[in-house]
Amino acid sequence: MGCSSSLPANNAGAVGNINNENSATDSKNLRVKLVLLGDSGVGKSCIVLRFVRGQFDPTSKVTVGASFLSQTLALEDSTTVKFEIWDTAGQERYAALAPLYYRGAGAAIVVYDITSPELFNKAQYWVKELQKHGSPDMIMALVGNKADLHDNRCVSSQDAKEYADRNSMFFIETSAKTADNINQLFEEIAKRLPRPAPS
Amino acid sequence: MDPNPSPHPTDSQPEPPEKRLAALSLRSAHLPPDFAPAEIQEDDDDEGYLTAASRGGSSSCAAAAWKDEVDGLDDDKDVDVGPPSPSSSGYAGERGSSLASSAGVDDPQPQPDDWARDKKHLDEDDASASWRKRKKHFFILSNSGKPIYSRYGDEHKLAGFSATLQAIISFVENSGDHIKFVRAGKHQIVFLVKGPIYLVCISCTQESYEGLRGQLELMYGQMLLILTKSINKCFEKNPKFDMASLLGGTDAVFLSLIHAFSWNPATFLHAYTCIPLAQSTRKAASAVLQDVADSGVLFALLMCEHKVISLVGAQKETLHPDDIFLLSNFILSSESFRTSESFSPICIPRYNPMAFLYAYVHFFDENTYLTLLTSSANAFYDLKDSRSRIQNVLLKANVLDEVQKSLRESALRIEDLPADPSSRSVSPPPQFSEDVNSQLLSSEMAIGGPAGLWHFIYKSIYLDQYVSSEFPLVISNPKQQKRLYKAYKKMYASMHDKTIGPHKTQFRRDEDYVLFCWITQDFELYAAFNPLADKMQAIKICNRVCQWIRDLENEIFVYGESTLSW
Repeated sequence: MGCSSSLPANNAGAVGNINNENSATDSKNLRVKLVLLGDSGVGKSCIVLRFVRGQFDPTSKVTVGASFLSQTLALEDSTTVKFEIWDTAGQERYAALAPLYYRGAGAAIVVYDITSPELFNKAQYWVKELQKHGSPDMIMALVGNKADLHDNRCVSSQDAKEYADRNSMFFIETSAKTADNINQLFEEIAKRLPRPAPS
Repeated sequence: MDPNPSPHPTDSQPEPPEKRLAALSLRSAHLPPDFAPAEIQEDDDDEGYLTAASRGGSSSCAAAAWKDEVDGLDDDKDVDVGPPSPSSSGYAGERGSSLASSAGVDDPQPQPDDWARDKKHLDEDDASASWRKRKKHFFILSNSGKPIYSRYGDEHKLAGFSATLQAIISFVENSGDHIKFVRAGKHQIVFLVKGPIYLVCISCTQESYEGLRGQLELMYGQMLLILTKSINKCFEKNPKFDMASLLGGTDAVFLSLIHAFSWNPATFLHAYTCIPLAQSTRKAASAVLQDVADSGVLFALLMCEHKVISLVGAQKETLHPDDIFLLSNFILSSESFRTSESFSPICIPRYNPMAFLYAYVHFFDENTYLTLLTSSANAFYDLKDSRSRIQNVLLKANVLDEVQKSLRESALRIEDLPADPSSRSVSPPPQFSEDVNSQLLSSEMAIGGPAGLWHFIYKSIYLDQYVSSEFPLVISNPKQQKRLYKAYKKMYASMHDKTIGPHKTQFRRDEDYVLFCWITQDFELYAAFNPLADKMQAIKICNRVCQWIRDLENEIFVYGESTLSW
């Protein structure tokens, strides 16, 4: 599989506003707005930076508001999917602003930290919020990050998987640090995207 | 303007030595690569500070050098052995999150940012000797006594202390009065009440009440920039509201702000500074920003570190210099802005304290960034387009390269001060600067000698902008620079003292400097000379500085569209 990097600098072609972006364009070249939600410190930015730039920075940089990045993924069936990613801030004060970023999103990734039951509960809050206010056909992924810290695991894969199934989400555990399952996560989302009917 | 200040300004007595407090800052740009750790041992109100804000322009080797220094200078290491900070457990948990994993990941090499955060000394509280010894504390608390922010120590552990501060404030308020400050020995406790929010500074740094109060005002402004004044409503609904968590993850912002109090003249002059640029270069940047501002952006700012390249407001809206400072402090101290473009709610306190605007922020390079402010929550893609348009123009006009060049070759060097045309006795200058073609002061005159001017700050009152000269060799280390700023701050406070002033000129001599201040309707000039400088000579030099600034004004100041033709 190939990842062609498209840094934010060269995608000025995107038009419209923050809310009307949905999966679009022709059947071979999809575009999707994707939002990451989850409490502060679970590793949302690390997941995105690992996916978009192949980097991992162990110093946590608190996200302010939301960062925008994009990345195009080429699938085996020769379709390409351009992800327009909103990496939101997990801080409490930004919670009320989340709709600004997830409205109109075609996909959402809800992230928790496998070493923290509290953050898993917080993830469930985001899932409920998306079910209530997100678009109904949104593809949702539940992601247990920091899988490399399995010695400190507090949330079992089994529990998380069951919760994800009940809420028709797909579930995956990732490690932004080791890059484990990061590309798989985005590939899986890409595969599940509705394909526009060939005209 | 009056070309000659009064030839008989009041002399003042030298300061007692104990007033000259130890000063230290770790401002990177001025740290020579071979800066010896031994030079900074004294405790200071500014210890171990480092964030993104001070990082620009430093070489990585200098960054490594600081780290050693700071590790070395931390003489109260024993109190540092507390629980590991969240960031020392690898990448687990940000500070400010409700939970920090204590997982022992194989630790990567600690980054400078790590210990910037650590310097909050979370293991301390009001019972710790080390906490009590700190020279300058800042607190934010609610009117019910709940801690919101503390510069040192864990807010939660300071609940008792906060309650005491609240009790003092409410005791005075109950008698229908307002508490301004308390003096206790060497310490001064300054209070600022802003509705349900109380701000307190406890300091033994000998700064003036007005100066410290101004710093608390800026802290309040920084808090509003993050949360808006509508936070007051939460207290109306629930007086016991716990606000601390709403500021989660902003420690670096406040740390950087507090640090700026000791090195950034914008914090006491209430003016901003510009990066010197050729008029045509700045015009190119301003023209494209104006273009964008006409199409739905409220404010467009192009800045390099804390210096303005160009700024434009829609329909002649203006940004207050304090807001520019707070905004740039927020952006420069929040690392995530550098990672990618972002779109965030930000309140501009002097523009509208009640509401959020949305800020599109993009870094063109390590230290040059564009901020577009809009009131529309849906404007992201429009602003992204505007940014790429701006970027094209900046690249075409070579603005970004010129900015980097200007940053490296700071324009105002004392040695470049044109000589007085009437005195021809000056020895030939060692070299000519390209933008000044008259005779130059010899370096002997500039750093020693009777008229030895060392440094100056010139503030244009009309433009709300200031320029300062490059530091000379004698004030090359951060400690000396911070001491000079402290002297300027003191001068500023006494010049603007409403009870005994305002003054027009002041000439002050102590064992460190001769300080001369001159205020007219148009400008304020603060100049530092060699302590042996002669008064009449100093005044003459100041006249020449003013003339020099007037000659350079098109390059060192930003003029609004309407005044560009001046």
